[in-house]
Amino acid sequence: MERICLARRAMACRFELVLEGDDPARLRAAGEEALREIERIEDRLSFYRPASELSRLNARAADGPVRVSAPLFGLLRTARRLHDETGGAFDPTVGPLMRAWGFTRGTGRLPDPAALAAARRCTGMAHVALDADARTVRFARPGVQLDFGGIGKGFAVDEAVAVLRESGVRNALLHGGTSTVAALGAPAEADAWAVAVAAPGEGEASLAVVRLRDAVLSVSAPHGKAFEAEGRVYGHVLDPRRGAPAEGAALAATVTETATEGDALSTALLVLGPDARSLTARYRGRMQALVALHDGTVLAEGFPPRLGPTAVPARLTA
Amino acid sequence: MKRPDDHGLSRRSFLKKSSLVLGLAGAVEIPAEAPAVRPARPADAKPMNLALLGFGPWGREIASTLERLPEVHLAAVSDPYDVMLRRVGRSYPEARTETDYRVLLDDPAIDGVIIATPTHTHRQLAVDALQAGKHVYCEAPLAHTIDDARAIARAAAAAEGQIFQSGLQYRSDPQYRSVFGFIRSGAVGRATMVRGQWHAKESWRRASPNREREREQNWRLDADLSPGLLGEIGIHQLDVAAWFLGARPVSATGFGQIMLWDDGRTVPDTVQAVLAFPDGTRHVYDATLASSFDGRYELFFGSDSTIMLRDSKGWMFKEVDAPVLGWEVYARKDTFYKEKGIALVANATKLEALGQDPAADDPNAQTPLWHALKAFHDNFTYGPFPPAAGPQEGFEATVVALKANEAVLAGGGITISEADLAVG
Repeated sequence: MERICLARRAMACRFELVLEGDDPARLRAAGEEALREIERIEDRLSFYRPASELSRLNARAADGPVRVSAPLFGLLRTARRLHDETGGAFDPTVGPLMRAWGFTRGTGRLPDPAALAAARRCTGMAHVALDADARTVRFARPGVQLDFGGIGKGFAVDEAVAVLRESGVRNALLHGGTSTVAALGAPAEADAWAVAVAAPGEGEASLAVVRLRDAVLSVSAPHGKAFEAEGRVYGHVLDPRRGAPAEGAALAATVTETATEGDALSTALLVLGPDARSLTARYRGRMQALVALHDGTVLAEGFPPRLGPTAVPARLTA
Repeated sequence: MKRPDDHGLSRRSFLKKSSLVLGLAGAVEIPAEAPAVRPARPADAKPMNLALLGFGPWGREIASTLERLPEVHLAAVSDPYDVMLRRVGRSYPEARTETDYRVLLDDPAIDGVIIATPTHTHRQLAVDALQAGKHVYCEAPLAHTIDDARAIARAAAAAEGQIFQSGLQYRSDPQYRSVFGFIRSGAVGRATMVRGQWHAKESWRRASPNREREREQNWRLDADLSPGLLGEIGIHQLDVAAWFLGARPVSATGFGQIMLWDDGRTVPDTVQAVLAFPDGTRHVYDATLASSFDGRYELFFGSDSTIMLRDSKGWMFKEVDAPVLGWEVYARKDTFYKEKGIALVANATKLEALGQDPAADDPNAQTPLWHALKAFHDNFTYGPFPPAAGPQEGFEATVVALKANEAVLAGGGITISEADLAVG
């Protein structure tokens, strides 16, 4: 049994891929193609690259219907469904709000009230019309912006996993920035890939160890990018319904079949916080979830109990 | 078979003939610029219906580039492998899919084909497509042997009224065209040397669950089928050097090694080549799959200044004793360690008038491939123009790259003769 490790910088984070199999040359070849797929998706969906398909859509869709590629349209339909099913807690139109709060290119700041009000008027999937027959997208008003920051990484991971399967890879672990982790099969002499979820805050303590096999772990937490003002800490995950940083929870994690769903649902759970039960009930059987509230309460739905009293390093463990 | 477009037939065939005569005479051929301002698109102009042959990674790049060309319609894709055709279905549900490309050549609704299959299969496809009356965009290199490349170039010459564009995409890129004019107008003084590189860290191998398929997919690693790094990648940079210098190399010296990917392949993963031009100018080039450091660039050294091209951006580094250029005080300057590079931007004055920073990412920027495919379409709709890279340019670049690869495999120097470079 051979093990190959590959890494690539994309989507402002580090993707790492571990592959197991008999032939290291084949494994590497498959892994390289999967990582290239992630780069291709970033080229297409990046909010920050002016020449990406998404940027072109954002620049023109307020003027009239814009025809988009089949993969982008498919992702928009998925995003709309997830938006509806999460009651708007996940929202891909959150871009203008992110900008108003200074999280687009910085670590955030208190917004100007007029700019915030303007951004809130542009937020919501109700402003995005999808025409499946013509495969076009149209924004109902100027200022609406789509941003796949919430699910783009998950979508890229799903597509990369499809490339790995197509290439004949059976056992692999792929993560993007440690927040989205996809497992194919299992490592040698184990029945699953074991992944520790770091507890919020400093230190090496872990909240749970998740055993993944043909499943995806997605973790959302606001503390990666945050700022402090007037004695309060504001994290970069925004509650699209309130137009302000989500304050419901310190961390949310999901295990789902696809990374696209996992990224959207873990974000939504973080936004919902104490109200997460409605969503976990809706997805019972399709999603395992864990939400760590600020008061130390942990809501769990199908998650394994924390393993042992000792700290498990918050990194990928096989 | 009736040709799908019969407009402008006589002028197109005249231009093709005259360009070949020039090529045979050994004259330096500078493709005429297509008009800077296109005539208005005729109200009744149909989209150009294209069939893409080959849906590997580069074929997919072409398909996604075509999506940004609304006047072109990706009507069909052929690939011998079902897995690839299923991918087509996911990404381009409206495109017809076929495992056999010949079915598409029989379809009168297809105006042209883009050939993006393994290099050693180009000859059959290109010749069949030309004989079926289709316009052809054939990826570079034309072929893995000089004989095959010559057969394609001859078939293209015989196909009067049909566009044949070689995939030397940088010849259509506005930035490269602009620097070409700049260098040819003497801005670097006496051209003294060219240096280029392409560095990546990747195995160049492909994987498939099917062993037979995998063997076929990995043609690039088999020296019998593959023109190697120089033929598959270096060809673009070798061609740009010859194009800018306005000359054709007379010899190639090369070396190649397997430095990192010793996995049974017979193609070097690291190569060095020196191309010599008649006036003594040398082009020093290296490519490797073992290190990604500094990626890809081309440097054109001259007695007054040196020009660097990378990522379709250009900079000029002046000698202190060089004459001052009127515009340079206004131009943006970027620092590279201790050197100051003056940014060269195609249509810079226009961009600045729009208030854009010429060195920033331009939201309207397109890739060299986009420009090349646009030129293919424009030739169909508004032409005939001599293609920026027609059969003669495609053939010459292929011969030079194959000769350089031959030198790499032999580990020494070989001459490139006029006869080698003649389509005949």
